[in-house]
Amino acid sequence: MKRLLLTAGLIQALCVGEPVQAATCSCAGAPVLIYLDTTAVEKGQFFLSYTAEDHQINDLVSGSQDVPDETGRDRSTFSHVLSASYALSDYWSISALTSYVEHERKIGSSFFPKARSSGMGDSVILLRYTPFFITPFRRHELSFGAGVRAPTGENEAADFFILSEDMQPGTGAWGGIAWASYSYAFNQAATVQFHASANYLHNGENDRKYTLGREYNLASGFSHSLNSRFGYSALLRYRQSDPDRRFGFELPNTGGEWLDFVPAVRYSFTDRFSAALSGRIPIWRDLNGALQFTTSYSWAVSLRYGFR
Amino acid sequence: MVSVRYFLLTLIFCFSPLSAADGTAPILEGDDVFSGRAVRLSDYRDKVVLVDFWASWCPPCLESLPAWEALRQELGPRGFEVIAVNVDENTSDGLDFLRERRVRYPVLADPEGRIGIPWGIRTLPRYFLVDTQGNIVSDHRRFRSRDVEGLRSEILELLHSKTH
Repeated sequence: MKRLLLTAGLIQALCVGEPVQAATCSCAGAPVLIYLDTTAVEKGQFFLSYTAEDHQINDLVSGSQDVPDETGRDRSTFSHVLSASYALSDYWSISALTSYVEHERKIGSSFFPKARSSGMGDSVILLRYTPFFITPFRRHELSFGAGVRAPTGENEAADFFILSEDMQPGTGAWGGIAWASYSYAFNQAATVQFHASANYLHNGENDRKYTLGREYNLASGFSHSLNSRFGYSALLRYRQSDPDRRFGFELPNTGGEWLDFVPAVRYSFTDRFSAALSGRIPIWRDLNGALQFTTSYSWAVSLRYGFR
Repeated sequence: MVSVRYFLLTLIFCFSPLSAADGTAPILEGDDVFSGRAVRLSDYRDKVVLVDFWASWCPPCLESLPAWEALRQELGPRGFEVIAVNVDENTSDGLDFLRERRVRYPVLADPEGRIGIPWGIRTLPRYFLVDTQGNIVSDHRRFRSRDVEGLRSEILELLHSKTH
């Protein structure tokens, strides 16, 4: 009860690039992993959560420099993510999520000023092993996880033509995930905790011969439960993504490095039902190529219900 | 498409509910923090026992202590007992609370988890109902005052089956 249930944000979102060589868009994909519930659970516990995220992708960046955008562009992704976790035992648990994604892009000076797509996004299933966890008698928690991202989403959405990869609700490719996290409780009630995590995402090739870049993520931060109702957390998240590939060739203006600040607040209505509000604010980035559109900010609302 | 189907089937299989089996209560023994008297769960084989793990930093736990005291006063003569295990790292924190709201049932101190770890304590509140044979018959992870009536019925049922 005393433990802040906000470790979900320790895994970075999938990154979907665009297969053209102009100013492309990084991190435009649905947040398939970021809202995966990775909270340690006791045997028999079941958690369900729903998250809605608004992701604005309008910053134009050259390397690490912001560039004024004069195209009148407006690019956003709205995602609905449903996730579930079940503890098979005190040490083993399984988490899964699926998503529904809505993309929208407006370009003022373009012949096709508006593009929209929506549909089922990809799904993820993750098996987690927690050899030791925080209890009233232990301050440390360590978890390892491995899983797959399944191409359950639509990836042939079209306007006049098939839309670019970053406008597709799904990636169309399988992916593999390896993940580890560590938490330390500063007091016996575990109301103040330090969190650190690392994960790796390997992306396969889809049927249009497009491969998203491999991703490496590191995150660390603190969470604090003020009482049984209110809590907050603050994380720093670093992400490095390799360039995307088409037919095995690297695409310029895709991939790079990002450092984001991820604040979140949580309110528990009961000991089973809680809501959280979180954001993602870019601090620094150094992106590949001459120009890339990337995250301006994102915010999300989550509802979570747990039972046995 | 076939692989997507296998993925979904795997998902359904993995989320099928598993049953949680109750079993024999682990060893519970120590000294009562007030009287110094040795307390062993195995000495209560003829009684229905509520084993309550609590700490001073757990508000629902503090709320539950007077409720257990009231249950014990009512049902004690019929064969019901409470054994509380305080898990505060500094046992004095728990004792300070008990000095203000005295309970008559035995309270053991377990700052290092000698008792709590074998009982699988990960979060608080946590309390168990143990029957006259030493078996855990119910395991509770939350306390709300409105749940006490249900627990009372459960105890009465166990006491009734003890006498028949």
